[in-house]
Amino acid sequence: MVLKLYGPTVATCTQRVLVVARHLGIPLEVINVDLPKGEHLLPEYLEKQPFGQVPLLDDDGFLVFEGRAIARYLSAEYADGKLIPKGAKENAIFEQAAAVESANFDPFARALADERFFKSLFGGAEPDETVASEQQAKLEAKLDAYEVILARYKYLGGNELTLADLFHLPYGAVISTPASPGAPFVNLEDPKRPNVARWWREISCLPAWKAVSTEAKEVLAAMKRA
Amino acid sequence: MAIKIYGSAMATCTQRVLVTAKQLGVPVEVVGVDFAAKEHKSAEYLKKHPFGQIPYLDDDGFILFESRAIARYLSAAHGDGKLVPKGVKENALFEQAISIENNDFDPHASKLVAERIFGPLFRGTVPDETVASQKQTELEAKLDAYEVILGKYKYLGGNELTLADLFHLPYGTKATLQLKPGAPALNLEDPKRPNVARWWEEISSLPAWKEVQAEEQVAVAAIKKA
Ligand SMILES: N[C@@H](CCC(=O)N[C@@H](CS)C(=O)NCC(=O)O)C(=O)O
Ligand SMILES: N[C@@H](CCC(=O)N[C@@H](CS)C(=O)NCC(=O)O)C(=O)O
Repeated sequence: MVLKLYGPTVATCTQRVLVVARHLGIPLEVINVDLPKGEHLLPEYLEKQPFGQVPLLDDDGFLVFEGRAIARYLSAEYADGKLIPKGAKENAIFEQAAAVESANFDPFARALADERFFKSLFGGAEPDETVASEQQAKLEAKLDAYEVILARYKYLGGNELTLADLFHLPYGAVISTPASPGAPFVNLEDPKRPNVARWWREISCLPAWKAVSTEAKEVLAAMKRA
Repeated sequence: MAIKIYGSAMATCTQRVLVTAKQLGVPVEVVGVDFAAKEHKSAEYLKKHPFGQIPYLDDDGFILFESRAIARYLSAAHGDGKLVPKGVKENALFEQAISIENNDFDPHASKLVAERIFGPLFRGTVPDETVASQKQTELEAKLDAYEVILGKYKYLGGNELTLADLFHLPYGTKATLQLKPGAPALNLEDPKRPNVARWWEEISSLPAWKEVQAEEQVAVAAIKKA
């Protein structure tokens, strides 16, 4: 049975799973969930995902939600645990990185993306730059600590690429791309943080991510035409 | 060499590690960090923890930060992997629960506690009930989904107690606290969510958690005397 992933390709949370699946070479069938229509709040959907969110994985009846948990499951079940270091200490440094992404990157990047990019795109409201730049300042302070870690290790969770690195891609890509020429953005390749720049350049150029972001752009363009 | 946890018996993030250590039966030594003197922002400290937070672990020179990563490490390196399910599917449900605590509980509960409890206690502020009650409403909506999961399984990550359950204890307990009689507080034993109530009653009565709370009281009393 083919693995089914419920969630729009354009949603950052879906992309977090898609990039991992691509990188591991695991085929998934993506089934769109129409968020503007509220499909994620219908009783049929809530029965599978009680929080009413995407993404949701259906593996022949075995249901898992939460993008990061789905990604770990894909690695464990279909890819011999790739992208998750095994030794107790190596795994600990990976878990540290996974927790850093969750606690020190995602909340700020998400709030920033919502305000600066998604509010106008999906909500038709003007971004409030005071709010956005406040989130950006908080995120940049965290990136200074990233610089320290990435000067020590090649990746955030040690010297091997792990899930923790890939988890940064969806929101990282949104916030580092100016909406129009000259518009504000987070420069993840700022030369003042050479190791963050090196890391970001490498992970954002991974073929798996290129493929996911190209697909998302195509879907978005089709949505805009419609 | 004793495992050292740099932090404070009164801090929620340290308590997340301490309750895990006690439940696993792994002895740890708490080394106080002088928050008032901003020790956690000193150059020495930042070498250990580049984000300048508590807690961090020192296990015979192996340094690790992020409370949830530390808890996983204690289980893997010193607790025979207890509290972390092993089978691929069992582990996936556990990881789902870990992500739920991280994304659906912690952000709301920590803001609620900051407003109602920590502000008045440590900064002398008066709680802004508009903010606090909004966080409580958001959190309660999430708890409705908890009720669905806990109607299916004994614990949030399946039928065994896991780290994911324990991680709720520090902020969950503080969110249910009233600084003054009659003050608004979250009721995690609300009969309208019988399964959440059963779950919370059980985990908040664990001897490991009772001990952590008793140690907190000792630390608070010592400060009051000084
Ligand atoms: N922590 C969840 C977050 C999921 C999430 O927030 N999904 C968004 C789309 S990116 C969603 O479903 N939004 C609809 C809603 O929350 O009502 C995950 O990583 O899977
Ligand atoms: N995600 C971190 C959060 C740590 C954290 O926020 N610690 C607080 C005390 S509970 C702290 O050190 N605050 C000081 C600061 O952030 O400057 C963890 O779980 O370890």
